[in-house]
Amino acid sequence: MKRDAIADIVPAVRPRSRRLTPARIGVYGFLIMAALFFLVPLYVMLVTSVKPMHEIRLGNLFALPMSPTLAPWRSAWQSACTGLECEGIRGGFWNSVWITFPSMVLSIAVGAVNGYALSFWRPRGANALFAVLMMGAFIPGQVMLYPLVRALAAVELYSTLPGIVLVHVIFGMPMMTLLFRNYYASLPEELFKAARVDGGGFWRIFLELMLPMSTPVIVVAAIMQVTNIWNDFLLGLVFAGSDNLPMTVQLNNIINTTTGERLYNVNMAATILTSLVPLALYFLSGRWFVRGIAAGAVKG
Amino acid sequence: MVAIRKNRAACWSAYIALLPMVLTVLGAYIGTMLWTARVSVSSARIFPTGDFVGLGQYERLFRNARWLLSLENLAIYGVLFVAGCLVLGFLLAVFIDQKVMGEGALRTVFLYPYAMSFVATGLVWQWILNPELGIQRVVRRLGFTDFTFDWIVDQDKALYTIVLATVWQASGLVMALLLSGLRGIDDELWKAARIDGIPVWRVYVSIVLPLLWPALSTALILLFALVIKLFDAVVAMTQGGPGTATEVPAKFIMDYLFGRANIGLASAASIVLLTTVVAIVAPLYYARAKAVQRGLK
Amino acid sequence: MNEATRRTRAIAAAVLATACAGTWAAPPAGPLKATVSHWWTSGGESAAIRQFADAFNAAGGQWIDQAVAGAEQSRASTINRIVGGNAPVAAQFNTSRQFRDIVDQGLLNNLDDVAAKGNWDRILPRTIIDVIRINGHYYAAPVDIHMPAWFFYSKKAFAQARIKDEPRTWEEFIATLDKLKAAGLIPLAFGGQVWQEKIVFDAVFAQLGGPELFLKIYRDRDVKAVASPAFRNVLVAFRQLRAYTDPGAPGRNWNDATALVVSNRAGIQIMGDWAKGEFSAAGQVAGRDFGCFPGFGAKAPYIVAGDAFVFPKTSKPHVVAAQKLLATVMTAPGPQAAFSARKGSIPIRPDVDLSQLDMCARMGIAIMQDKSRQLPNAEMLVEPDLNGALQDVLTNYWNRKQTPEQAQAAFAQAMKDNAW
Repeated sequence: MKRDAIADIVPAVRPRSRRLTPARIGVYGFLIMAALFFLVPLYVMLVTSVKPMHEIRLGNLFALPMSPTLAPWRSAWQSACTGLECEGIRGGFWNSVWITFPSMVLSIAVGAVNGYALSFWRPRGANALFAVLMMGAFIPGQVMLYPLVRALAAVELYSTLPGIVLVHVIFGMPMMTLLFRNYYASLPEELFKAARVDGGGFWRIFLELMLPMSTPVIVVAAIMQVTNIWNDFLLGLVFAGSDNLPMTVQLNNIINTTTGERLYNVNMAATILTSLVPLALYFLSGRWFVRGIAAGAVKG
Repeated sequence: MVAIRKNRAACWSAYIALLPMVLTVLGAYIGTMLWTARVSVSSARIFPTGDFVGLGQYERLFRNARWLLSLENLAIYGVLFVAGCLVLGFLLAVFIDQKVMGEGALRTVFLYPYAMSFVATGLVWQWILNPELGIQRVVRRLGFTDFTFDWIVDQDKALYTIVLATVWQASGLVMALLLSGLRGIDDELWKAARIDGIPVWRVYVSIVLPLLWPALSTALILLFALVIKLFDAVVAMTQGGPGTATEVPAKFIMDYLFGRANIGLASAASIVLLTTVVAIVAPLYYARAKAVQRGLK
Repeated sequence: MNEATRRTRAIAAAVLATACAGTWAAPPAGPLKATVSHWWTSGGESAAIRQFADAFNAAGGQWIDQAVAGAEQSRASTINRIVGGNAPVAAQFNTSRQFRDIVDQGLLNNLDDVAAKGNWDRILPRTIIDVIRINGHYYAAPVDIHMPAWFFYSKKAFAQARIKDEPRTWEEFIATLDKLKAAGLIPLAFGGQVWQEKIVFDAVFAQLGGPELFLKIYRDRDVKAVASPAFRNVLVAFRQLRAYTDPGAPGRNWNDATALVVSNRAGIQIMGDWAKGEFSAAGQVAGRDFGCFPGFGAKAPYIVAGDAFVFPKTSKPHVVAAQKLLATVMTAPGPQAAFSARKGSIPIRPDVDLSQLDMCARMGIAIMQDKSRQLPNAEMLVEPDLNGALQDVLTNYWNRKQTPEQAQAAFAQAMKDNAW
């Protein structure tokens, strides 16, 4: 829009963007090469997932299937063995939903409140605590397993759904707080000051003013959390309890057999199936994703 | 008067609202690190024991060639990975921003690796990079019989394959971050720059990049966290091999926590890792906080 | 053994106990529930464990499966659950020293009465008893015996390389590999992962170094033996095998290496008997499409490894009853034969119906009769920490240009470092 207008005002500086100049060809060339690089693994996964095992054993990674079959996909969803049961990955689907949805909502809520309090109210000592919280983002999860298990067991939350939700909130807190804090810091302070003068308290300003303006960053946070929590394996395995095991545990059982035979076609199909939920979310809210992170990151 | 009383009441609300964060920081993060530190000075195997062995575990840690190698690998990997993601992400963002056709499809193509669990994608990368199965075989079949691309089986080069695969996975996210930053830059600036006749590349380097700094810094924090936690990729692609060539601290800690049943040593390694991270990040964070304060005030 | 009587007795005891305690806690009506944690998740393994589950359910139990793939992940999950107070009724470990620490902490129930009723001290091999009996009490129920160092070979590949007989000495083995190489095939199908390298090393160690040296180093931790010329020979021979692997070997999964033998592109793979599952999945039959031998010569040592279930500590009567029932069922002759036929292992007891087992398994059982050939696996003699450290030494030796002397020194150093 604006740039085409520029071309009108400033003639002959640069041709209209639609024409195929060498620069344009260069741009498209680079993007297509990059896209091919990104797509190679997906191609291998798709092709492998429709080949029968005897073709896979031949080791021709990039070859198209000679006798394609959809049996691996059916098997991955409903009949692959995950232990004594051979029900595929579908069993864990609803568990994953029950874990992901509350964890996402809670961790975003907590992150939003934290970010709001940190950027507008700035209580004493809060910034120091925030710094320590950010350090927490750098600790590998395995390190915290043991003491967390003990702690949760002590409050009888170990191996329960609330327990795993709590764990996800804890682990998501650093990134969520950072995201919201940066976003609110980019909003003009005058808005906040005006609301204070009008007599708004902490919660009123948050719920009636800030939250409605936070849609972009909430969508971003939602996408990041859904991806991380949906694909999480270790925390779900340790904290969710056998009744609530997420889909990734079934996926691991299908893929990671130690001394059993490995059906690579089923493994690939199962992986793609498991990733469909975050992928769908990307497709549906891709625009928001890009726009939201902007606001969250614009002002440091 | 009324304003001040309201002020104090509101301030209390802020404190109460921050309570979950306080509890998490103190209980979950500081608490577990204190626990880990306590275990690291004991001789615990599978379960914590109450004994005290001083710095024995740390001594053993720094005599362990695998640990030292893992630290070295992490440093090399970190630099390459962060640089690679930033450069690739920036280039992708800049090029996509050029009003290309099919921007939505392209964006999806660059973002899908982030959605997929690395357990399977890592195996696929292992196959693709394996000289007998993947790229080297295909290129040789095409006639270039001298072509070699066997980094993944080479002691010295295997680490670069991990960089390759993880850059593939993470640069889409960086691209998204930087793209939005670019979109946030005022079009007036472009117009002004064009009128002044400044070449395009200079516009990017001298004007755009500084304005992108906030987005870049968020990306940096994200990437750095991913570097420290690197585990899945190594396990899926090389299992720390060939030999111990691609060993990384998170894998070392995990191996000793469970497989090798020595949580004392694993705790010592965790404390060392955390201390290293704090030593690197804290000064940077402090400097940035000061700059932000100066900027806001 | 009368399972029904046993169960009735157990439940009656429980009822009496709670009645006498003064509170009327209704005894669990119906089957004895047992949550079982293990890592057998592939199709073949699932079919195998189904034999145990069916037998347990038929005997009045209710098997609740809680599998976690990946042996280390499964054990890690079990330990976390024990720590968190939500332990499964039974959990899988290897017959090894992995669960020593858990026993020492008093966190397992013992199986002395099951062992007594089942005559374990007369039926089970000595090597296994040494691992599951700690301080005079039995703490684990062994369920199978695996041999991690079988030599599998493709008959077509052997034919193509004009090899008529299986090698009977180390020299013949090297000659066989040379012939395979000359025929343009991959002589040794290999996967360059740390645990696979250890398997090949232990195979060479046992066959070439001999059982005495093997035990001296792994069991007695004799540092002088590590420095001896005999051990140096073993290291040299181990390294010699590297020339017979293909360039794509590092990092390769064991199944992909077996696939090379299955598709007749490679000659030999040194792998555990679980590899037979890959052969069967490809429709190949032992003795017809592929061959197997456990070592060189008529007195070749047979390395004994396997899996066992432990039972986390509890005093709830119905859980204890479930544990005892499970241990009894899993070690009974009928389930043992059915399980091993599908798992590729051999049963822990010799008095089972052998008709369902394949050629290699029957060979293994015959060898096990000769007690002098039984050799405990390194993991039975060495705790996990030291085992891992030794694996690191060996993988460095295999992958880098180290001299055997350097490897010997590193080996000895690892043994000293891990002597807490």
